[in-house]
Amino acid sequence: MTGNKLLSIQGLTTEFPTPQGPLVAVNGVDLEVARGEVLGIVGESGSGKTVLGLSAMGLVGLPGKVTAGRILFDGQDLTRHTEAQWQAIRGKRIAMVFQDPTTSLNPVQRIGAQMIEALQAHRDISKDAAKRMVLEAMVRVGINSPKERLLAYPHQFSGGMRQRVVIATALLNEPDLIIADEPTTALDVTVQSQILRDVRRLCQDTGTAIIWVSHDLGVVAQIAHRVAVMYAGRIVEQGMTNRLLKTPSHPYTAGLIASMPANAERGERLRSIPGGLPQLSNLPVGCAFAPRCPQASAACEVLPELTSTSAEHAVRCVSPLNEAA
Amino acid sequence: MFAFVLRRGMQSVVVLFVMSLIVFSMINLVGDPVDMLVNPESLPDEIERVRRDFGLDQPVYVQYWKFLTGALSGDLGNSFVFGRPALTLMAERFPATLELAICALIIAVTIGLPLGVYAGLRPDGLGARFIMGLSVLGISIPTFWLGLMMIIVFSVILGWLPVSGRGETAVFLGIESSMFTLDGLKHLAMPATNLALFKIAMVMRLARAGTNEVMAQDFIRFARAKGLSSRRIVRAHLMPNILIPIVTVVGIEFGTLIAFATVTESIFAWPGLGKLVIDAIVNLDRPIVVAYLLFVVALFLVLNLVVDIIYAVLDPRVRLQGDEE
Repeated sequence: MTGNKLLSIQGLTTEFPTPQGPLVAVNGVDLEVARGEVLGIVGESGSGKTVLGLSAMGLVGLPGKVTAGRILFDGQDLTRHTEAQWQAIRGKRIAMVFQDPTTSLNPVQRIGAQMIEALQAHRDISKDAAKRMVLEAMVRVGINSPKERLLAYPHQFSGGMRQRVVIATALLNEPDLIIADEPTTALDVTVQSQILRDVRRLCQDTGTAIIWVSHDLGVVAQIAHRVAVMYAGRIVEQGMTNRLLKTPSHPYTAGLIASMPANAERGERLRSIPGGLPQLSNLPVGCAFAPRCPQASAACEVLPELTSTSAEHAVRCVSPLNEAA
Repeated sequence: MFAFVLRRGMQSVVVLFVMSLIVFSMINLVGDPVDMLVNPESLPDEIERVRRDFGLDQPVYVQYWKFLTGALSGDLGNSFVFGRPALTLMAERFPATLELAICALIIAVTIGLPLGVYAGLRPDGLGARFIMGLSVLGISIPTFWLGLMMIIVFSVILGWLPVSGRGETAVFLGIESSMFTLDGLKHLAMPATNLALFKIAMVMRLARAGTNEVMAQDFIRFARAKGLSSRRIVRAHLMPNILIPIVTVVGIEFGTLIAFATVTESIFAWPGLGKLVIDAIVNLDRPIVVAYLLFVVALFLVLNLVVDIIYAVLDPRVRLQGDEE
């Protein structure tokens, strides 16, 4: 896998200065994505997964800043890129889809214009040619009568349709990687599974890799080859999706799986992990999950490293579960 | 759209009628114009004659009825002082005020908009702070004082610009205006700048607030994720969105420029409507005051309508009431 990697994030740290000291949203994250691979990133709200995605796009808004680490994309270190170099990468080689389709599109510009500009930003292409490509892209994501839709405004579309437009836009330049930040969370369940299926198919066709960020393990299980679990800005476990879901090593992953509604007995109360995320500007010294962890012991006061337990699996815990597996 | 304009037209007629009633009855409470018009040493029957000639001997409701029937046929009465129709007098003065207002508006937008957007894009920069400091000055410095200072500096001390008056005019495209001669422009420069100053500050603040708000939106982030240049984002995504509130406010402000340029016109002896109405108020020239106030009401009614229509053009989400789907 190492020879084939498209994206390699090493020790990435993104901080936001606050009056209470720096808020470390992404804390020394290491990640790799191979070409054509779908990597799921799972974590609860505030775990840093969205900021991780934005960091990889160079889109962390001020006053936030990447303060350490490297983002190697196809051999180039993106953290050293100038704004102009970033612009050449964004939308062309790495595209991004955001969570809320109702706000991702400019309300006062026609859909067609917003899609065409994504093409024209990266290649010298006539408006007519761009329009033809946009129409094809709209058909691919399942938008009916695309010709009329081209002239429509976002408010004339449903949420699902808008997200399809956003996805079609992201796919226009056939990027090597799409970072999808909870793209189906704002949609209802049937639309969600359709879009999930379509995105997987489209990316398979073009060989596009995906980083699929979600708080929903169920969604990630459907789409990702591998999963990384984030907690308080750090990756606490990563591995192949099946193995990770079946035999989680980190107590936090186990807690997430146990709290999935699908795993609850009928009539039983849904389970949850007690407690809440620690303050990112004031993390505990050792394992950030220890205060909520049923297995916590004195050993947890030292921050464990992310340690490989097998070729494909790594966990950041002093007493991982399912050791035998 | 037609239905909308028609309905607003009918509403406007009602508003104008009510305003005429209020204006007419209020002005009849103030002073006695005959005292102003006739030499106080005249004989009593001389005074009576003048009173009869102007119809001021009749009860107010009779005077109003006369005014109303006249108004419906386009006659708002004759000036007591000049003995000529009030509308004609106003029409003679209107071009001077209009050119002053248009110049002031152009100055306000061309200076205020770019500075405001700049300040909004770099809210923490030194430039932005300086600009916002200027805008506070612009809003708080009294117009009349600044006008006098400008005259002292640019006319009296430096001798660059003429002190007062409208200067030479020329006819261009059938419009006579001092905008088309160098001498005219020299005369325009100070009063227009003086009148524009408050509006520059206002447009600046609006543009900055709008920019701050829009730049934080998801669709700007998505536009950046498409790899668009900052220039393209400002032009295609920021501008159309901030222009919506700015057009609304500037449209109405254009009305106040025309209607309330009085102070500036007095300082620079600009032969416009403002000067006419100030003189009319001093001389209790009722027909002119009434005609002027009704003109101002009509002006705002029309501007409101125009602003609403432009608003609907700029923002596709807005549908004018009375429009059929």
